[in-house]
Amino acid sequence: MVKPTKGVLSIASIAALGVLAACGTTSTPTSSSAGATGIAGCHGTITVASDMPLTGGDATDGPFPAYAAQLAVTQANANKLMGGCTLKYISKDDSTVLKNGHDPAQGAANITALAADPTVMGVVGPFNSSVALSEIPVASRNHLALISPANTNPCLTAVVAVCSDPTIAINTASLYPGPHTYFRVIASDVQQSEIDAYVAYSVLKAHTIYVFDDQEAYGRGLALLFMKYYKADGGSVVGSVSLPGATTTFSTQLSVAQSKGAQAIFFGGTTGNGCGLVRRDMGSAGMNIPLLGGDGCEDQLFITNANSGAKTSEANGSYATSAPDVTKLASSATFFSQYAAAYASLPAPYNNGTKEPYTAYGYDAMNILLHAINSVLVGNGGQPPSSSQTFRDDVVAALRQTSYDGALGHTTFDANGDTTNTGFTLYKVTNGAWVGVNTYAVDTSGNVSVKS
Amino acid sequence: MSDQSGTPGAAPGGTGGRTGAVTLVDQGNLGPRTSEGSSFFGAVTPIFRFLYSLISKNFGALLLALIVLSIFGTFLQGGATLMGNQIKNALVLGAIYALVAIGYTMVYGIIELINFAHGDVFTVSGFYAIFIANTLHLNSLATSSFGGLLLALAIVFPLSMIAAGLTGMAIEFVAYRRLRDAPRLAPLITAIGVSFLIEGVMLVREGPDYVTTGQASWINGTAFTIGKVAVGYTDLFVVGTALLLMFALGAFVQRTRLGKAMRSTAQDRTAALLCGIDINRTISATFFIGSALAAAAAVIYSINYGDVKWNIGFRLGIIAFTAAVLGGIGNIVGAGVGGFLIGLIYVFGGSLIGGAWSEALIFAILVLILTFRPVGLFGVEVTTRA
Repeated sequence: MVKPTKGVLSIASIAALGVLAACGTTSTPTSSSAGATGIAGCHGTITVASDMPLTGGDATDGPFPAYAAQLAVTQANANKLMGGCTLKYISKDDSTVLKNGHDPAQGAANITALAADPTVMGVVGPFNSSVALSEIPVASRNHLALISPANTNPCLTAVVAVCSDPTIAINTASLYPGPHTYFRVIASDVQQSEIDAYVAYSVLKAHTIYVFDDQEAYGRGLALLFMKYYKADGGSVVGSVSLPGATTTFSTQLSVAQSKGAQAIFFGGTTGNGCGLVRRDMGSAGMNIPLLGGDGCEDQLFITNANSGAKTSEANGSYATSAPDVTKLASSATFFSQYAAAYASLPAPYNNGTKEPYTAYGYDAMNILLHAINSVLVGNGGQPPSSSQTFRDDVVAALRQTSYDGALGHTTFDANGDTTNTGFTLYKVTNGAWVGVNTYAVDTSGNVSVKS
Repeated sequence: MSDQSGTPGAAPGGTGGRTGAVTLVDQGNLGPRTSEGSSFFGAVTPIFRFLYSLISKNFGALLLALIVLSIFGTFLQGGATLMGNQIKNALVLGAIYALVAIGYTMVYGIIELINFAHGDVFTVSGFYAIFIANTLHLNSLATSSFGGLLLALAIVFPLSMIAAGLTGMAIEFVAYRRLRDAPRLAPLITAIGVSFLIEGVMLVREGPDYVTTGQASWINGTAFTIGKVAVGYTDLFVVGTALLLMFALGAFVQRTRLGKAMRSTAQDRTAALLCGIDINRTISATFFIGSALAAAAAVIYSINYGDVKWNIGFRLGIIAFTAAVLGGIGNIVGAGVGGFLIGLIYVFGGSLIGGAWSEALIFAILVLILTFRPVGLFGVEVTTRA
């Protein structure tokens, strides 16, 4: 498909945003916008949208990929990617006051409203897997493309062993009453747990482990998959427990783990549900073994919670896998500088895209969508297909053919809409901050290798 | 408020005037049925009745046996080290439950209201303690020397307790006083309302995440080691302070004029009024003391765990309420003992059959108590009234 040249985008954004001084270093010469020539005579309006949790407890995460998606649209407009057609962008918030953050019901309502607008050709989002569960059927019924920057639940796209677990209970087939219109640019928890198992057994050299989970779809799923792959690697799970997110102390289970000789603790879940508190209680119990978590643990709150106990530097030496540290990728450097230039006037931390691991994912997801739309227009003689539904179907078909080089590197989608660009970075808390150690990739037969 | 207390029916003369109202613990309906329709049930009813009375009379012994068995089971599972660690965990948890349970039991004893806002008073007190410690720079004082620690404790405990006590009095004055003679359901509903109100205010003010108190570093280090079980100074502090406060309260209720007024108001409000006791003042004092103990529990919690969150008091409150029912609601000694028993059940249940069952176990116990021994372990025999 269309492979944009980085220089085009950055020059375009400079022109569009009038921030000449901030990023005037790009040098790649380009003459014209990719594919725009054939569609200069395009007329009509095309709308793209993002759906993220922007307020409440998720205000620290969701706005970043939303701003990144908006930046992609701004650049496409400056770049005349849609030729003579008008490109509009709508930002939806799936948070509610009631949930103090992402709310699946609000997500479904947002997609329903967007689908009712015949000019909407695709949505970047959602951020949370639980919201995806309620949005995917709506998008599928309306043939609307949905590209998530951050959903890692494997059962959203394919049936794996854990989908039938009572805690997760996701019937993948029932999510798609219509065509399969859902894609994601982030690898799923299957890959993450394979890497977690490898890290626990081969990197941390823990041959016995005690596993916690937070009883939620993400955490429970990750823990179950982790145990499966950890055992396959040769490790022994000495015990496991599912505790509700409201649990305030973990000392009872840690004493059990200690008595069973666990050499490490794995936590499947989020910091809000106790990942940092487990680490805090390990300090009180005098347990000098590593704690490993998934991307739900890799945040500042983990460090705050872990250090809140009697040992004020207890967080040091904790491990978590998370989205690849894209700030280290050469391909993302341009994007982050463009982001910083475009949003210099936003209050911190939103003026710095590197403050959130999923920012670049929002940017690539929107660019992939925009280029799919562009290729449909080009393929249709520069004009939008006559019916909205045909247009949407064509966009989904174009998305399947995606071969895009963006901030994240090279992205293509498999038959389930999952990205083939997998990889997770192992982070370690050092002097009170998460620091990337290595990035691991996993192939289709489950072999883990160091990527960078 | 000791043995007889305000449990409905425990002092039939005192509460007789209000037995028509809705009560949570309405023992009148909980005894064995006397008439059965079918002959089969007619035949087995005596067996059921016998079993019921057997369990009901020996409830405490059965529960104790269960706890001892689970401690022994833990010993078989993980040896003396695991058993010792879990006993330590249980006592620490139990001490906090006990202090919170006393607030529930005192309020229930005197006005027969389950003060659902009590758990949230606990949480608010945690934030009071943070505010006081930060404003007066107690964190650096407490970690400077042993004398500094004592001074910091001597400042943070009374100030948080007074602040919480005043909060409790304000809640009583605003939400419960005017409803004192309304049907029992009315103050129960306002209690739930106050609980949500407090939680909402804390969520907005303090945010959705855990807030670090900075007090976990006040007390540090291992006091002594038994086998491989390291007992920290914090563990001793938690349990010791809780016991000290409970004995102080016991002495206060037994020995002082106000304590006597509280006991008589609990037994019979009208008679107490006739004897010249200022009912409003007595009830306010009860709320003050109950809330102050919740604040003490919150300070202990803050020093032990180091984090407070806007909604931690909710679950903790319900579990502490179960402890109060277990001990016999209205009975102060019962609430204290109940708190420690619930701590043991929570920890050893969680250790033996998995932590996911801890809370289910606690509430199963609540159902069993209400079925078999609604007056609790330290109340009077249910059969004398059934």
